[in-house]
Amino acid sequence: MDAFNTLMANLSLGFATAFTLQNLVYCFVGCLLGTLIGVLPGIGPIATIAMLLPATYALPPIAALIMLAGIYYGAQYGGSTTAILVNLPGESSSVVTMLDGYQMARKGRAGAALSVAALGSFIAGCFGTLILAAFAAPLAELAFKFGPAEYFSLMVLGLIGAVVLASGSLIKAIGMIILGLLLGLVGTDVNTGTARFSFGIPELSDGIGFISVAMGVFGFAEIITNVDMKDKRETFTNKVEGLILSWKDFKEAAPAILRGTGIGSLLGILPGGGALLAAFASYTIEKKLGKNPQPPFGQGNIRGVAGPESANNAGAQTSFIPLLTLGIPPNAVMALMVGAMTIHNIQPGPQVMTSNPALFWGMIASMWIGNLMLVILNLPLIGMWVQLLKVPYRILYPAILMFCCIGVFSVNNNSFDVLITVLFGVLGIVFLKLGCEAAPLLLGFILGPMMEENLRRAMLLSRGDPTVFLTRPLSLVMLLMALAMIVIISLPAISKKREETFVEE
Amino acid sequence: MNILQTVSGLVLVCVASLASAQYPNKPIRLVVPYPTGGAPDILARIFSEKANLGQPVVVDNKPGAGGNIGTEIVAKAPNDGYTLEMGTVNTHSINGALYKNMQHDMVKDFAPVSLIAYTPNLLVVNVNLPVKNVQELIAYARANPNKLSYGSPGIGSSIHISGELIQTMTGIKMTHVPYKGRQFAIPDLLGGSIQLMFDNMPSSLPLAREGKLRALGQTGARRSPAAPDVPTIAEQGVPGYDVMSWFAMFAPAGTPKEVVARIHAEALRVFKLPDVQEKLKTLGLDPVLSTPEELGKYQADEVVKWARVVKESGAKAD
Repeated sequence: MDAFNTLMANLSLGFATAFTLQNLVYCFVGCLLGTLIGVLPGIGPIATIAMLLPATYALPPIAALIMLAGIYYGAQYGGSTTAILVNLPGESSSVVTMLDGYQMARKGRAGAALSVAALGSFIAGCFGTLILAAFAAPLAELAFKFGPAEYFSLMVLGLIGAVVLASGSLIKAIGMIILGLLLGLVGTDVNTGTARFSFGIPELSDGIGFISVAMGVFGFAEIITNVDMKDKRETFTNKVEGLILSWKDFKEAAPAILRGTGIGSLLGILPGGGALLAAFASYTIEKKLGKNPQPPFGQGNIRGVAGPESANNAGAQTSFIPLLTLGIPPNAVMALMVGAMTIHNIQPGPQVMTSNPALFWGMIASMWIGNLMLVILNLPLIGMWVQLLKVPYRILYPAILMFCCIGVFSVNNNSFDVLITVLFGVLGIVFLKLGCEAAPLLLGFILGPMMEENLRRAMLLSRGDPTVFLTRPLSLVMLLMALAMIVIISLPAISKKREETFVEE
Repeated sequence: MNILQTVSGLVLVCVASLASAQYPNKPIRLVVPYPTGGAPDILARIFSEKANLGQPVVVDNKPGAGGNIGTEIVAKAPNDGYTLEMGTVNTHSINGALYKNMQHDMVKDFAPVSLIAYTPNLLVVNVNLPVKNVQELIAYARANPNKLSYGSPGIGSSIHISGELIQTMTGIKMTHVPYKGRQFAIPDLLGGSIQLMFDNMPSSLPLAREGKLRALGQTGARRSPAAPDVPTIAEQGVPGYDVMSWFAMFAPAGTPKEVVARIHAEALRVFKLPDVQEKLKTLGLDPVLSTPEELGKYQADEVVKWARVVKESGAKAD
């Protein structure tokens, strides 16, 4: 009961800090700016925060951090909006939202997809904030149980699971994952410092950027293919229905939201790719649960949007845990937050909670307020976003291409990245013509380098003894799960059924 | 004809001197070869905010290839004083020894302007490692050869080089485990997968103060004002051990002397402002302003030192 009282006292301090007019305004402005910029195709949370970070330098520390948190949520939600409406992932975790979200939009259900994404994010955000407030310290310790060996096994499990992302041919999906792995090899090898496949180009020595690949194979390729289809150019304009969720939708989505929230809260704590793995794990679970989902996954199932979006957002909340309790930023966005904190004379670390409790709990309270504002802000805006689809293609397409280029350029302020994106656009057209799906490629591209890095690190730490993957219990469990997945995929009867269930429309 | 040439030559000289007399008459671009949010970026933005040159100073982040992309842009930029760089120990003294295919020379292509700040690294160990100071660490490493692993945010970082230097100076053997950033190495250090790291002082000091890590020593020749209670590694029986992460402003080689002097004077003024000094202190940075000549000499010494350490460690990148 004591712990509960402390929590309540802390939370009330937090809300007292956050509920000043000034801080509420900054929170709102942050959410609004974040949404407006994040909704531009190709500009994800990282680019948005990097762009707006200097704007917060002049604010008082608490206000600046509250505003940045607002920008972060806003950008993330804005990114999901573009993923759903125009099939463009602004960040890696939106790749999963896109699979069913875009299909829903094509079927005229963009409004429902956006509503469920907003509601799922809000519920996940509330839950994530509570977890953050109550269990931050013990959860941070949990992350230390994850060494390189555990990460490697988790990646193996993830890559094998990536196969389920495909809705078409199994062989093609595996081919695309492997191609993604190969593309991920480009760049400087972490262990030896040797540049691989960089052809002497300094820009390639840091590898190919995720945004370039994603914008190329999804954005550019999609637009060029659509221009190619002279007569039957795709249009959703005539059938935009039901902006608000029906009771049936809600009943279907609610359990998926809860499951996604649980997975997201857990995986979000892991540094590097936690939120992405969460979104992806949630999709896999939704796809495996319940027989004969209507419509099938990959064709606009609402659970395929609700689960990953909630997981992603819960993960985004709990990814603050390592930052606030230890000063370790678990991803690129949080690294920018560290920069913002230091510029305001706050050194992130375990001492923030004790030396600056108003800031710590104020920020946690403002996370919840930010999530609430996002819903209030976005539910009325959904109608406006959907209207975007009615913009004639001759205007919409060049605009999307232009924003993609700006987005890609703004990551590193480098025009070389834009050229790479064009190259991937061409590659994307080839994939579309061959009927190969790009989502597994992106997953291979992201997970591959992380898997290699952790494999080699684990081997380096065990001084070359490969049994380390089997002697550490967490690692062993995940490898066994991966093995079970292979068995399930390769059983002829099941694989036949899989082809039947998931064959393309 | 001759007169015409002379006259036009004179006119050109006049225009040129007029132009430099008016410097700056357009915005100045300050290139930061790292992403937004890090120490070089923060220093550059402080300068951009406080500088009073009559023209805005625009911060331009050009990250990539260990700082080489942004540095190369400055090396190739016109030497008119409108392109400057916030360089680091890496871009202007380690990278040249580390990278085989660099298209610029980190000494010859630059005109030093001023040192801005420096910070030592902090040797921190996992709390379960049974050593309390540097001597005990060395004894432990000798008794358990190649059992210790130390993390770093990548090959050639000053954090990596600090580890190489202690090995070459004391003869102990440890395994270097590189990560893609220090934020990925810290959880493994706290969890015990790796046992030690020569981390950036501002980020590890709070963890050490809270007892999550044990600080054994700082890497500079003198104790930093940020942690006067932590002894240096040199004090603890490794005389001459000295590693500093430093940040300094450079212009392209051949930038007119009076232009360099103008920027140097402004840097001196900005970084001596009381609120700026206060800010640097919370960042764990010691302000060390120098003349352009002092920076040139310091850089030359650093280049020689790191070339030797990089060579002895066998580290390379390309």
